[in-house]
Amino acid sequence: MHSHINKFMETARKELKNEQSQMFLMMVALGAPILRQIGMSSFPDITAAESYSRAIRADAIARLPELLEEFEKNAESKGAKVLWAKDAAEANKIILDIANCGGVSYVMKGKSMITEEIGLNDHLIKNGVEVFETDLGEVITQNLNLHPFHLVGPAINVPPGEISEVFLKKGIIKKASTDPVELGSGARRYLRDKFRNLQMGIVGVNMAVAETGTIINVENEGNIRLIKSSPKTLVAIMSLEKVVPTIKDAIYMTRMLTRNCTGQKITSYMTMDTGPKKPEEQDGPEELFIIILDNGRSEIYRDFKTREILKCIRCGACLNTCPVYTKIGGYPYGATYCGPVGQVLTPMLAGIESTADLYRACTLCGMCKQICPAGIDHPSLLLSYRARQIDIKNQKGKKTMQSRRENAMAGLISLGMSHGWLWNFGLKITRPLMNSLAKDGYIASIPMGAQGWFGCRDLRAIPAKTFHETWNDLPSLPESSGNTSKKEDS
Amino acid sequence: MKVSLFIPCTVDIMMPEIGIAAHTLLSNLGTQTIYHKEQTCCGQPLFNAGYRDQAKQVAKHFIEVFGEDECIVSPAGSCVCMVKYHYPELLEDEPAWHKRACGLADRVYELSQYIVDVLKTTDVGAKYEGKITYHESCHILRGLNISDQPKKLIAGVEGVQFVELENSTTCCGFGGEFAIGYPEISEALVRDKAANFIKSGADVLLLCEPGCLLNISGYLHRNHPQKTARHLASFLAENLKKV
Repeated sequence: MHSHINKFMETARKELKNEQSQMFLMMVALGAPILRQIGMSSFPDITAAESYSRAIRADAIARLPELLEEFEKNAESKGAKVLWAKDAAEANKIILDIANCGGVSYVMKGKSMITEEIGLNDHLIKNGVEVFETDLGEVITQNLNLHPFHLVGPAINVPPGEISEVFLKKGIIKKASTDPVELGSGARRYLRDKFRNLQMGIVGVNMAVAETGTIINVENEGNIRLIKSSPKTLVAIMSLEKVVPTIKDAIYMTRMLTRNCTGQKITSYMTMDTGPKKPEEQDGPEELFIIILDNGRSEIYRDFKTREILKCIRCGACLNTCPVYTKIGGYPYGATYCGPVGQVLTPMLAGIESTADLYRACTLCGMCKQICPAGIDHPSLLLSYRARQIDIKNQKGKKTMQSRRENAMAGLISLGMSHGWLWNFGLKITRPLMNSLAKDGYIASIPMGAQGWFGCRDLRAIPAKTFHETWNDLPSLPESSGNTSKKEDS
Repeated sequence: MKVSLFIPCTVDIMMPEIGIAAHTLLSNLGTQTIYHKEQTCCGQPLFNAGYRDQAKQVAKHFIEVFGEDECIVSPAGSCVCMVKYHYPELLEDEPAWHKRACGLADRVYELSQYIVDVLKTTDVGAKYEGKITYHESCHILRGLNISDQPKKLIAGVEGVQFVELENSTTCCGFGGEFAIGYPEISEALVRDKAANFIKSGADVLLLCEPGCLLNISGYLHRNHPQKTARHLASFLAENLKKV
């Protein structure tokens, strides 16, 4: 994971000015919710469907350790080899070892966030194993060396001209073209050739079923089906929260996933694999490795507050509805996961101290929480990270001049807010200072602090009297209204 | 009926007319308003910034001030959310305070919610000839699930013509510290809100959240000075028919 989270605002500013990005983000913001709505409307009761899927995820996470053991037992009984990886390095090593054992010179990959998270491609390439992405979007991001712009459509923002250019350079197409169909079929021809002699494929996992040991993938391009069926060796890597109790749960979650993701009732391809190829079967891998990756998730699980992050099914609905994401796109988030899901997950994976922009660049509007089919309360998590950050800053030995100053300020504000007289006294001092900056009843800028406000906005001058100061002068009810009520001081 | 006014700091300091309007509307509807002069701020800015210990102190002050008041009404959704949802969360580890916070949570109402749901009124006696539209503030809509109530109050105004606001449920980009900390993103959002307001053809944009009002009216004043945004309470109180 090549993080550049520290450049959040710098990247966001660039993206806000990038017409191409803005055009695609507008399309995402307009189109995705409509598609989702159409997809969801095939449920007889949308609210009930959402409650059901949220309950499935809550149950699965509550029973996670037990379900993982059940999954391992059942997958192994069907002939799969289940391997546990505690972090990225371990997972990368396991996969490289499998490749080396089979003596493969290249692998092909299905779209997967988790391999992006562990930086698998770099590791394999560095160690002499070539990697071919097979999801069209990932073929593009891989060749352009880009982070995913969107969880589901990693390259939705890249214009055909740019794709054509890089495809030409890499020999994927022979003739320049901006026709999406041309580009798509060019990539297909190129990849089909690689599939022919494929020895080892790598896929992520959308759902792992505890009761049967089945791994499920949903996709629209058919590339994952080819990866799962053509090579001798198949490696499926999943983060440990992907497990669900039953096939019935998995199917329900799949219905929810595709509707929330692209608005589809079902994706074009859905593959369910239970163990490797059996002697009587024609297709499928001879050996199936399932790697269950922790990479910080046990820590996330241990804390009851953060545990709910693991409910996420990576549908991307929260991105499409987030006012911030739909303005700045995926790049500023600086990591594998962007938008609200990235904002709740990345600080836990990369640490609170280096990811402040992720949990502070949020208006707490609640759109993500409202739309989430897994039942995650993102705003509440982000607020808890802000509190953690303040706690860390105030730990002994970590205090800086700035954190001391901020803390003293917060203490002073708190003191004022806890005493009515002090509050009003503070205001009496502030008002003339603020109002000395006003012109025609509005303040257009102030010399220090809160500069951000005045970039595009004015602030009304502070009225001569607060409500507090007005209260005694407020009229009681007119007699004529026939009312007997009177206001009361206290 | 007695109603205790919970006047958020933004209203107290920056927009006292909203508090006065709330008092006027509630009095006209036959309730007796009380105002505790010891009240300050609900502590939301501290809480949102992550200063929970300091916010806790403010929460305790609030709970002391409002004591056993039967009905606490505020013209601000996010402040109501703070008291209703975050006070119990903040005071989780202090059983006695937690109990008081939970008790208080059930007695706090947003103004339009109180007028429509409790006082069962949708006509406050206002008259306005013109086009109105409504911004569904995040904490009003998704925080408190309030949407019909303000619209019913608008529909109850004699002569008013309600026009739809495109993307009315999208955030205006305020978000408290967000507007100051991430000004460029905030600007992109408030710019859209203003553009949709202008597109709607309405004379006035109404809303029920003082924070959004500071943001939107501050943006309008700088960029579209001929357009106005108002708090629903001020709008209703200003347009009351003369008795």
